[in-house]
Amino acid sequence: MSIREIASTTINKVKRPVGRSRAIGTLTLLLGAFTTFIFGLGSNPASKSILTFNPTNLTGVIPPHVGELSVPSKATCLILGILIIAVGIEILVRRPAEGLMVRFGGSAVLFVIGLLIWTVRVPGPAPFGVINMTAVLVGSSPLVMVLVFGALSGVMCERAGVVNIAIEGQFIGGAFFGSMIASTTHSFILAAFMGALIGALLGLLLSFLALRYLSDQIIVGVVIVTMLASLSSYLNVQVLSPYPQYNTGDLAPKIAIPLLAKIPILGPVFFNQNGFFYLMIVLVIVISFALFKTRYGLHVRAVGEHPKAAETVGIDVIKIRYFNVVVGGAIAGIGGVAFIASYGQFQPGCTSGLGYIALAALIFGKWRPSGAVVASIIFGVSVYLANNLQTYNVPVRSAILQTFPYLITIGVVAGLIGRVRAPAADGQPYKRD
Amino acid sequence: MSNSSKPNLWVRYTSKSPVFVTVFSVVLGLVVGALVIIATSPVILHSWSLVFSSWGGIFHALKVTLDNVGAAYRSIFTGSIVDPPQFWHALTTGKDWAVALTPISETLTYTAPLLIASIGVGIAFQAGMFNIGANGQAVMGGIVGTAAGSMLHLPTIVHVPLTLLAGILGGVIAGIIPGLLKAFTGAHEVIITLMLNYVIAFFLIYTLLSTALQQPGQQNDVSRYLDPTAQLSPLFGAHSGLRVNWGIIIAGIVVVFAWWFLERSTLGFDFRVTGANPKTAQASGINAKVVIVLVFLISGGLAGLAGVVQVSSTTHFLDGGFLVGSAGIGFTAITVSLLGRNNPIGIIWGSLLFAALNVGGRVMQASTSIPLDLATIIQSVIVLFVATPVLVKEIFRLRVEHAEAVQLSVKGWS
Repeated sequence: MSIREIASTTINKVKRPVGRSRAIGTLTLLLGAFTTFIFGLGSNPASKSILTFNPTNLTGVIPPHVGELSVPSKATCLILGILIIAVGIEILVRRPAEGLMVRFGGSAVLFVIGLLIWTVRVPGPAPFGVINMTAVLVGSSPLVMVLVFGALSGVMCERAGVVNIAIEGQFIGGAFFGSMIASTTHSFILAAFMGALIGALLGLLLSFLALRYLSDQIIVGVVIVTMLASLSSYLNVQVLSPYPQYNTGDLAPKIAIPLLAKIPILGPVFFNQNGFFYLMIVLVIVISFALFKTRYGLHVRAVGEHPKAAETVGIDVIKIRYFNVVVGGAIAGIGGVAFIASYGQFQPGCTSGLGYIALAALIFGKWRPSGAVVASIIFGVSVYLANNLQTYNVPVRSAILQTFPYLITIGVVAGLIGRVRAPAADGQPYKRD
Repeated sequence: MSNSSKPNLWVRYTSKSPVFVTVFSVVLGLVVGALVIIATSPVILHSWSLVFSSWGGIFHALKVTLDNVGAAYRSIFTGSIVDPPQFWHALTTGKDWAVALTPISETLTYTAPLLIASIGVGIAFQAGMFNIGANGQAVMGGIVGTAAGSMLHLPTIVHVPLTLLAGILGGVIAGIIPGLLKAFTGAHEVIITLMLNYVIAFFLIYTLLSTALQQPGQQNDVSRYLDPTAQLSPLFGAHSGLRVNWGIIIAGIVVVFAWWFLERSTLGFDFRVTGANPKTAQASGINAKVVIVLVFLISGGLAGLAGVVQVSSTTHFLDGGFLVGSAGIGFTAITVSLLGRNNPIGIIWGSLLFAALNVGGRVMQASTSIPLDLATIIQSVIVLFVATPVLVKEIFRLRVEHAEAVQLSVKGWS
């Protein structure tokens, strides 16, 4: 094989990540088939579904009233299903190199709309016959937010070549101590600092053991999670139960952004949230910029891809890794505070594996902040629906419904790994010669 | 510390064996546990707040601290190994042996499933794979085993083996999923098995609320009882008052099997080569995919056996709290396996120690109201140090040559 041929095949490989588009295309097709056959053909032609858009139980700013939308269930689901199938076929046939996530994310949104329309069809099993789309989005947003914090933490660590599987532990630590500080000082800013401190300390522990003593990062991470889970459960019995004033469960106040909060649908979802939500958006922008547009980001990515080469050009590999893991830990710690700031009291096990789902979101999002956001939205909405669809008498038992987010995670990870490329030195210990 | 060229007694003594690293990790774990007790015990904190208020305040504070921490650790010891006065009483009067032997019997009862699950995790570690889903696999073993034990009605001689086999089958089903996914898609086993733990936890609730397994007349998540013919009976008879049962014999058989498998069988050799260096394994013609699937099949099967042994020997039915939280032997098994450096003999000691911590922890919870979670905290600290032998060596100035940390062969996510 001539050099020219090798070069051209290499370029083709780089240009067309065949496996990834095939996996996502197949997933999309499956979603489409499900929408068409289960939701579409499974509903009565006479059924109607009503979608409303007016937020309920909102405090503060209330956007202007938007009329409700009444659609025929069967026809809408069929149209949505065929649309998704079309997108799936397009992915499989054209194998687009760019915009895969957008296509898949769009299909997932259409799928969820189909699912909701099918769920609330009248005549049908649902007791309400109405679904409030804005409420679904507002209800999912805290989960999405926490997942984004976790995935950003993962981006920081893994781009520098350290696997941070302790995100769940940092969530737990941040949630526990954040709840204590928020309850005693009534300041979520202080609580956020406390969560960042705890997360950073855990990140420091991980990086200390992994970088200085070259311990296996995954083992250390898992043990840190076990430690925090048991410690928080211990302290819950010893401290929080006898002194409920340390765990009042106050929620962070919502801050409505003037004017923007009044936009229908978008306003309540994006512009009438607590401070952590806005902080998350800022962090996504800052980290994207820092990683891909600055000198520091170039160094980080070099360290994550080829630490030896980075060292030869004078980058301090160990220092960058320490810095990123500690900052990543702080971000995950704030994520834990954001969790209790949106859901109230700390309880042992309250984060229920969100830290691990955030890791999957990170992989799904190709180790990019923007991708992690799209993936977190998909996972967050599915967790929300799994926990809440039961109220609509879906013919699936609650326990089975609740396995779906975890099954989706397994499917996504199994379908994508090996097709998306992790930073080359991810998880590898680095030793100076 | 002397820097003389001639090694002093300490160095000569401790450089002989890597076991010292483990022993000192345990010491460090207990120290951290003591600190946790001190930091959260109002009595102790109060005594320290009075240090400057009177002469001798510091001695009082030290005494209170020692008393409380001592009471906690003493109850762990007497609750899991032996209570000296009771033992002395039994020895001198020849009566009440059942009472004197109860703690050790409880520890052995707890050890059996833990040891089996840890062997399963250890075999996976030896092959360089991290089976963090042992808990889910054990739950699955418990579910399928309970189904066989409560729905079939057979004589003991058939029913017990069938129940155990059903448990193994359950574990294999749960274990083969990550095995196949890892072998054929390259997905990292850690995420898959972690997620499966949650899936199986919900599946447990689902089965407990379905008519097949739910106890008749019950609304809660409680399963039917295993038939007496499907239960592992106490070793010394039902009237001895000691719960130690055939489970520990089964665990012994599993250890012997694991030793033979890893040291003497061809497949075990393939496993260890894969764990030591996947590239060498590939170069020498070992089929990586087959090894991955078989590792998870065996590891999952053992975890399933652990789950069914737990049901069949101790609880005799399933409920929503089966292997949840501190009772999650599948999670403890990971720490036990690391503590025992993944070899069967080390795992025996590791599982005895951690079983004793859990059993004694329950007695401690009852007598001093310090939560059982302390046992898990101590365990995870111990393993953090075991996973970082160099740090332990530095803290204690040891000079052990062969104290390598466990390293997984597969790094990163792909």
